[in-house]
Amino acid sequence: MKQTPEEVLIQERLKPGAVTLDGFLGNDNRHYHDIIAEDLDKIKELGITKEEIANRLDYFTDKALMNYDEEATIDGKYRVRYQTERGKLISPFKDKGLIPKGVITLLNTENSQQICWTPLNISMIRNHGFFEGKGAKHRLEPEMLFKALFE
Amino acid sequence: MDINPFVIFLAAIFTGNILLTYFLGMCSYLSVSKEIESSAGLGMAVFFVLTLTSAINYLVYHYLLVPMDLVYLQYIVFIIVIAAFVQLTEIVIERFSPVLYYSLGIFLPLITVNCAILGVSLFLIIRQYSFIQSVAYGAGSGIGWLVAILALAGIRNRLKEKYLPRGMNNAAISLIITGIMALAFIGFSGVAIIQ
Amino acid sequence: MLGLIIVNVLVFAGIGGLLALLLVLADFFLANYGDCLIEINNKKKLTVKGGNSLLNSLSENDIFIPSACGGRGTCGLCKLQVSEGGGPLLPTEKPYLTAEEISQNYRLSCQVKVKTDISISIPEELFSIRKFKGVMEKMIDYTYDTKGVIIKLIEPKSIDFKAGQYIQLQSKKYPKAKQVVSRAYSMANSPENNDHVELIIRRVPEGIMTTFIHDYCRKDDQLTLTGPYGDFYIRDSDADMIFVAGGSGMAPFKGIMEELCRKECQRHILFFFGARTTKDLFLTAEMKEYEKKMAAFSYHPVISQPEASPDWKGLTGYIPPLLEKYVRDPAKTEGYLCGSPALLAATEKKMREIGIDKIFYDSFG
Repeated sequence: MKQTPEEVLIQERLKPGAVTLDGFLGNDNRHYHDIIAEDLDKIKELGITKEEIANRLDYFTDKALMNYDEEATIDGKYRVRYQTERGKLISPFKDKGLIPKGVITLLNTENSQQICWTPLNISMIRNHGFFEGKGAKHRLEPEMLFKALFE
Repeated sequence: MDINPFVIFLAAIFTGNILLTYFLGMCSYLSVSKEIESSAGLGMAVFFVLTLTSAINYLVYHYLLVPMDLVYLQYIVFIIVIAAFVQLTEIVIERFSPVLYYSLGIFLPLITVNCAILGVSLFLIIRQYSFIQSVAYGAGSGIGWLVAILALAGIRNRLKEKYLPRGMNNAAISLIITGIMALAFIGFSGVAIIQ
Repeated sequence: MLGLIIVNVLVFAGIGGLLALLLVLADFFLANYGDCLIEINNKKKLTVKGGNSLLNSLSENDIFIPSACGGRGTCGLCKLQVSEGGGPLLPTEKPYLTAEEISQNYRLSCQVKVKTDISISIPEELFSIRKFKGVMEKMIDYTYDTKGVIIKLIEPKSIDFKAGQYIQLQSKKYPKAKQVVSRAYSMANSPENNDHVELIIRRVPEGIMTTFIHDYCRKDDQLTLTGPYGDFYIRDSDADMIFVAGGSGMAPFKGIMEELCRKECQRHILFFFGARTTKDLFLTAEMKEYEKKMAAFSYHPVISQPEASPDWKGLTGYIPPLLEKYVRDPAKTEGYLCGSPALLAATEKKMREIGIDKIFYDSFG
């Protein structure tokens, strides 16, 4: 499939050492278009949209931010912790704006599903449906996301 | 041949559409038709380049290659003329209309590798068109290509939210749609007065 | 036969050459914009070669407009006012400008190409930003994950700044990092010691720059940085001050305290430093020294996990709830914050609740 030079640049920026040290592709050799297509199919099967996922992640991120890098229990059954870091990043997709750094972990105490994400993940999911390649540090499997956030 | 250039122009859009009848210029057509805006931009750029390169290549062929008996060089000569012309167009557009330049973006240089451009230049030689007929043919092909890519972009836009079997996304479904459109355009051949 | 081949090659080369010449001419006449005059703030005048972006033309003349994306049009930080000669507003600029900014002629300098004489306005502070070449002189281990970094300036030899401002440091390529990045760090030295730049850098697990500093940077390595940037410096007034910091947020306050002590500042200052355990504290002895020298200054480290440090006798918990107890007159108090985004968010919220509305922090994080 022909790529525009911009797409070639984006693929480069997803590799390790460009935006973050570990990159976003893990050990996945596919082009990011294919990764996105497969994941979007899966979430369609689960009956949710990428905007809904991003909004839900935003909801927990905002609530967790006020807790001084410590754990908080939200809505009674979600244990969330936002370990913030200083500095801002630019998305590898060159979306507008500077994105904060940090890691948010969530444990759904009802079904013991644990996930972790970064604010950059939220931006990439909302704008492009990119959940990171398989094997990547912050790969978000759609089924795991669904189980943790919506059940 | 004494065909009215306007008839050639219309034929190039409907009955002899360079994309839907001759299947030339498919790759940028398939990849760019994801969005309507970029399709319109590319389509107009292709129209512009097609019209002018048809004219230039006609002149180069009849006033340079034929007198010097170097007709077999037409393939490579046409290509470098097209490449140079697209580059020239880029420079001119960037100078006089930066907004248009930014809207077209990467699509301008992409036109060089569009085989429809070379195809049109070669066809007008084979069909022995006069200068006016060549220009009409080039312009008509450009409009035809624009119409085809806009149609596909529109259809793909409607399909965006719909469910497709896995693997049918992008190229696969586009080719099927193109085939169906080509079938539809065959319906125009009842209107053909020529060929 | 040979003659035919030669003729073919000559004709083809001739046509190719003619077309190339045509393009060169077109490029020369159409794409060449000649020399253009950039007039800044109605006083400074620069002559540059036309055709480059405004951002690049300015940086080639040592005027550095803030940019986090290297001029690629994604961060929106390089905004400035173009009163004349900027050409039409481009679609790549629109997402970053509000309607009000557009009406005031703000443009993204990385997207505006200098094609004719152009007249712009930039804040005066930007004139003092320079590009510096330095060498790594020393690294100090403050804690298990925080290092002090001292960079000696080679060219220019000194930097002119206000205590608390920051610089943008460039990393170098190393095995895992294929590209260089530029990151912002507050300066920890006082403006008196202006022949070097001191930074405090904490290791971030996936950070390209912090991994470079902690694992790959060695003494005498050459480094490039630009600065000074930022609005984080002590405002001239006699209001009380509350400093809140955590982790590497100590950096600007180190320089600020050195400067305030030198000036024998009499203002009432409360400095809260938040950490998880006693292992995360550093420069405590230095701060205690300042307490002795400045009667109105007090340093309060706050530990949030006292269970891990049973010998700790100081304050415990989180900083925001403590502010109410210690603040004297909220209306006459200035808040200076530097640390993790979570700490800043919670602290700012609390400060506004108790009536402090003059709050300062750097927006780079």
